[in-house]
Amino acid sequence: MNALVALCHFCELHGPRTLFCTEALHPPSPSPPQPGSAIPGDRDREADREGEGLTMRANSSATQRADMCEGCRSLPASHPGFVSVDSETGIRYLSHQHPRQPQLFSVVRQACVRSLSCEVCPGREGPIFFGDEQHGFVFSHTFFIKDSLARGFQRWYSIVVVAMDRIYLINSWPFLLRHLRQTIQSLQDTALKVFDNEQCVCPQRAVRMNSAFSPAVFPHQRSGNAARSLTSLTQHPNLWASLHSSFSWLLKACGSRLTEKLLEGAPTEDTLVLIERQTEQEEEMSGWEGAEGGGSNPQPSQSESVHSKDFQFDDGRQEDLLGPKFKSLRHLRQVLGANDFRQLTWHVLMGNQVIWRGADPGLIQSAFNVLKALLPVGCVRAVSYSPHYEEAYRCNFLGLSPDVPIPAHVSSSEFSMLVDVHNVERGCVNPVSDDDILSLYQFNISSANTQPTDKGPTLLNKIEVALSNGNLSVEVVSLCLLCLKEEWMNKVKVLFKFSKVDGRGKEDTQKVLALLGATGPGEEDNVRLLKFWMTGLSKLYKSHLMTSTSNTGSSAS
Amino acid sequence: MNVLITVTCVSLSFSWASAEFDLAQIRLIVYQDCEKRGRQVLFDSKAIHKLDTSEPVTCKNPIVTVSFILKTADETKTPPNRSGACHIGSQAGDKDKPPSYQYTRPASDVNMIGEMMFGSVSMSYKGSTLKIHHIRSPPQLMVSKVFSTRFGSSTSGSTNTYTFHEDPKESYQRCNDSVFPAHSNPVDMPSRGHSEDGDSGIARSASLSSLLATPLPSPGSSFSSGLSSSYQRRWLRSQATSLQHGPMPRWNTEEMFNLSDESCNSNPAMIQRKKIAISIIISLPEREEENHNFQEFFFSHFPLFESHMNKLKTAIERAMIVCRRIAESSQRVQVYLCRVMEALGEFRMTVWNLYMAPRISEPVWLSMISQSTERNLLCQRFLKEMSLLMEHGAKSQFLAALLTAVLTHHLAWVSTVMPSSLPPIKSACQKPASQTVDLLAKSHPYNPLWAQLGDLYGALGSPVRVCRTVVVGRKRELVQRVLYVLSYFIRCSDLQEHVQPQGQMDNPASPCTSQTTDPTPEKTCPPKPDPLKPTACVIGTSEKALNSDLGNAIPGTSVEQNHEILLTDTNSTSPSPSSESTAVRPEFTEMGQECFGEDSDSVGGGLEHILANQSPLLHRVQFHIGSPSETANDGQAGGLTGAGCGRGLDRKLHQRLLSDIRRKESSDSALGDSDDEETSPRELYGATEQNEYELPLPSCQVESRASVNHFGHSLLGGYCPQYMPDFALHGISSDLRLKQCLMADLEHTVLHPALDEPVAEALCIVADTDRLSVQVVTSQRRVCEGGRLGRDVMVSNLVHTLITSVLQLFALNIASDFCVMHLEDRLQEVYFKSRSLAEYLRGQTRVHVKELGLALGIESSDIPLLAAVASTHSPYVAQILL
Repeated sequence: MNALVALCHFCELHGPRTLFCTEALHPPSPSPPQPGSAIPGDRDREADREGEGLTMRANSSATQRADMCEGCRSLPASHPGFVSVDSETGIRYLSHQHPRQPQLFSVVRQACVRSLSCEVCPGREGPIFFGDEQHGFVFSHTFFIKDSLARGFQRWYSIVVVAMDRIYLINSWPFLLRHLRQTIQSLQDTALKVFDNEQCVCPQRAVRMNSAFSPAVFPHQRSGNAARSLTSLTQHPNLWASLHSSFSWLLKACGSRLTEKLLEGAPTEDTLVLIERQTEQEEEMSGWEGAEGGGSNPQPSQSESVHSKDFQFDDGRQEDLLGPKFKSLRHLRQVLGANDFRQLTWHVLMGNQVIWRGADPGLIQSAFNVLKALLPVGCVRAVSYSPHYEEAYRCNFLGLSPDVPIPAHVSSSEFSMLVDVHNVERGCVNPVSDDDILSLYQFNISSANTQPTDKGPTLLNKIEVALSNGNLSVEVVSLCLLCLKEEWMNKVKVLFKFSKVDGRGKEDTQKVLALLGATGPGEEDNVRLLKFWMTGLSKLYKSHLMTSTSNTGSSAS
Repeated sequence: MNVLITVTCVSLSFSWASAEFDLAQIRLIVYQDCEKRGRQVLFDSKAIHKLDTSEPVTCKNPIVTVSFILKTADETKTPPNRSGACHIGSQAGDKDKPPSYQYTRPASDVNMIGEMMFGSVSMSYKGSTLKIHHIRSPPQLMVSKVFSTRFGSSTSGSTNTYTFHEDPKESYQRCNDSVFPAHSNPVDMPSRGHSEDGDSGIARSASLSSLLATPLPSPGSSFSSGLSSSYQRRWLRSQATSLQHGPMPRWNTEEMFNLSDESCNSNPAMIQRKKIAISIIISLPEREEENHNFQEFFFSHFPLFESHMNKLKTAIERAMIVCRRIAESSQRVQVYLCRVMEALGEFRMTVWNLYMAPRISEPVWLSMISQSTERNLLCQRFLKEMSLLMEHGAKSQFLAALLTAVLTHHLAWVSTVMPSSLPPIKSACQKPASQTVDLLAKSHPYNPLWAQLGDLYGALGSPVRVCRTVVVGRKRELVQRVLYVLSYFIRCSDLQEHVQPQGQMDNPASPCTSQTTDPTPEKTCPPKPDPLKPTACVIGTSEKALNSDLGNAIPGTSVEQNHEILLTDTNSTSPSPSSESTAVRPEFTEMGQECFGEDSDSVGGGLEHILANQSPLLHRVQFHIGSPSETANDGQAGGLTGAGCGRGLDRKLHQRLLSDIRRKESSDSALGDSDDEETSPRELYGATEQNEYELPLPSCQVESRASVNHFGHSLLGGYCPQYMPDFALHGISSDLRLKQCLMADLEHTVLHPALDEPVAEALCIVADTDRLSVQVVTSQRRVCEGGRLGRDVMVSNLVHTLITSVLQLFALNIASDFCVMHLEDRLQEVYFKSRSLAEYLRGQTRVHVKELGLALGIESSDIPLLAAVASTHSPYVAQILL
């Protein structure tokens, strides 16, 4: 908890004193304010100058030390204090006689003085909460400790818990009360035993009754007695170490008394697929290492988060390759022209194999990187540059060097399209600006497809609107694309559930398509898109739906 | 004879209170502490008698009973002095007339209470002070707020109007004598205390509110960012309330008791130091269990109690100001008493309602996230109820309008659909618990109850707005159905409580366990002890005590294991080879014992000796404290490079916060001159740079259980007999009282938010199931056209299609938990859309609604919803759209 605990004592000679204080230091701790600059406790002085009420100022340590008796002291001046570290959270609990953080010195002093000489608790022993925004908020519990040599045979103490979050502190009242009572009870019981012990040895009442009262001796005698420390009153040699442990525990337990369960959204399908691919890769890697017989395989670190960025540049080497590149879908559209772009993206979205053939692998890869963003991660299988043809089931993006022949069954198939990148012959060798792709290359697009590509899918129509609107920045367009993809992924999920998991008939499926908004113009393309995208669902998701249906099916029937 | 109202639990709702809660259990005392005159009671509900001439015998008012009991009790002790009761007010039996009150003898405990309220020594602090006392017998809780007064328009002694003194005779005189001049020397002193405290208070709150608007890393950079505004709010809270920054007065520091009357001219005159304190004393139930339950409820719901106390305080201020304008003294007192009694009545009623009102017994969202086994049944029921509701209000799009409003203002759902970037732990499709928030809570504890309250009120946007929803309707079943469905969309985190099992032996809270369990050595008394020195037998056992004590510090580990821990830590930090550290071991053990037995007498000053002559050996075996970098960082005072500060964002926020604090402090120091006091903490600070002795952190078994007393349960109300100002959601049968109170409640919420942070606007969604209308009422618009409460809600197309498709899927017999998953997916779409809206608005000065529709698929009806959602992750959105 963001608080500190202190044990305070009303010394018969010196008034209220802080004996022992446990603070919590939180891990990425901003360093304490520079001692030279004003500490927030400054405002106390302002109050003092006005001369009303009790002087709250902390005495300077020099005077205080001189004024200290055994009763006002916990650890000897040279004692370095105690520390406990919570290894899980990195919070350190520190105990000293006074708080180590300078800005808290006067706060604790104030709490101590108020708890022992200002605030009134009926019966003198018990809990009080008090405080204000300037001095912090305090939960205080006052109590007596038996002392056979003290006036009235007892001494007055308090334990204060100081925090800035008053609501939190008040919320914790029942908890703090319960546990501070235990602490106090334990101290009192121990001191009572010592007291009884001492009384049985040397009954003080009798001593005091019998000793002749002499004004000369009295003050001397009293001051001698006032010097008893709490250690001596409890005969507990490790009292302060134990108190440190108790207080540290109290702070920790109070801070973790209530925990929140705050939910986040389920990860997107893209994230799930990426995680799945990563684990597969890692398993493969560790499998290789195992085969090599290397006994020590450094555990591939499970990357904690996968950013959407990763899948757009997962081949990564784009930066290494020099030469012109496609920067965005809009750029690609500008270079190819609206018609060719439409054709190309239509094929991409339908899941057809898109082959780029040319001499510049960097350019081709950049085109793939841009185009991949149109699809869910799970639908992307890319071979960025290959010396020979790869079958469609292995990749839907294929880059080829210029002289690789395309098999006849592929070039005649309506499910593939080819983009040939030709170098434009130029006389001069003047370096041309990278942006000017058209001055370097010429693009030829061909496909055996006979279907119209200008009707659907709806997703493509919407993306084109965004791409053609020059007012929209590239970032807005990519967010817009992301929205559309998520929207259609959600439709894919429903269709998957409906047709693959539940196995519903055609009629029902048509209803679902209608409610998903997939019908109407471009319906055929929409359905094709949905079916292709279904292959991109994560294994986790699919298996979850398969298993959960069997459960619900049994419970429903 | 008392008015007791028992609660009947309806099937859909529950309540905390197992028994009656008596209104008279709440007592109000107003006290003043004047520099010259001392303390005077200005009001005590226990010493006021309501005169009801129409029903003289069977009086329904509980106060009468209390004062009656009080009198009889007093008669046994002291001779009754009935002359002290001064009778004021008319005898009119007309029921429409305000009731008349009379003073009775002051209560016997009133002096003690005054002491408790003000303390035995008066404080010079000028802001308001909050106190809570627990009175053991009779068991009572007392909450006090002490204010400095701000005067105007009257004599300094004018508060005598309301005084009744401890001496009944004097009180009698005061009540009857017209001691108040109608208009004399007005005193005005608002400026002084105000400017002093105001300087720091305002500046600091400004820097804090600027922090609240800290933007997240640029949107669009990463969609799977785990840092939601929920996270940010919590982080900032932990920082704003951190002790490590020292006292950092926040926004409403200079709250005073305002007695200045704006309607009168005021002349500045002498400054009088006067404090006014208001106390609410609640009698606790006698039965142990009820007592326990009420206290748990009271302390966990304190911010709500406090907010109502502030309302009460404002009413008392007004009563004092208003009655001062009345010349005739008996009438003046009567007006004062009437007004305060009325305010107290309100307070009692509100508290009673808060404690006793029915709640939704199974809020859908919380039940769904806490019990995964019954998920299917819950989903089924939820969708069924939602379908029924959809059918009911089909024509007017009631449900779509209501959900549009709820999703726009109760924004806590947003972070529950923001995609997690972490691999799922359990099932693929269940929402994961936020690990970043979990980590934050552990390393930087903040108050989960506070976080929950903000969630429920939807205080996640920027600027901070808080919202409640009230469902009005005569058909109980229908209202309850609406409440049930909404309890899915009004979301908050679930709270778990971790407690120590009862009767646990080795409780870490008790520092002296070993000695209490093993008392034998102390029993044998040595023959002749020196009273000033520890007895011989105790010295003899001290080592044993030490050992058992150390073992006790971590349950289940012996001393040996303890040293092992310390040694391994040493290994990890120092480069010395392990052979060395084993060689060191005996010495180490010895020293460890010496330093734990710190009593310098018994070990012959060993510890100081060791530290003074540090051997090379000791240099090697350093006690491990944190990481080396951290220690170094503690030493260098100005360094901003927080060690262990891993996250970039964390650091950025830290620096911001720190520099804000710095700026503030440097301006503070310019005001105050230097003082020798400054040296003391610095000296102490310097003195403790040496390494502390490390002790293991004790741990003990905890039982985890679902927390009962949290806002997720308490603020989702059922069908209540009366309008409630606190509930995030509840239903009522008639909007009569709602219409009376709502505007004032909303204004009060902005002035004294229970949320304990500044609030820009308070809103209330009012859904009328009879008229099928949904309106939003705001604290910012006072007058609405046609005498209506608020504005009608425009149905968001996004929300409409969302509900339609979910319910259609349900109608097609698709598994209900899949439908709910789909609903979540669609809500996530809304979130994504808000991201594109935010990005679109970045750098935009004008919004082209048509363009939004064409390019982003955002219709004008969706803009309010999406803008509100966007403001949770991109605070700049609000500024652009304003």
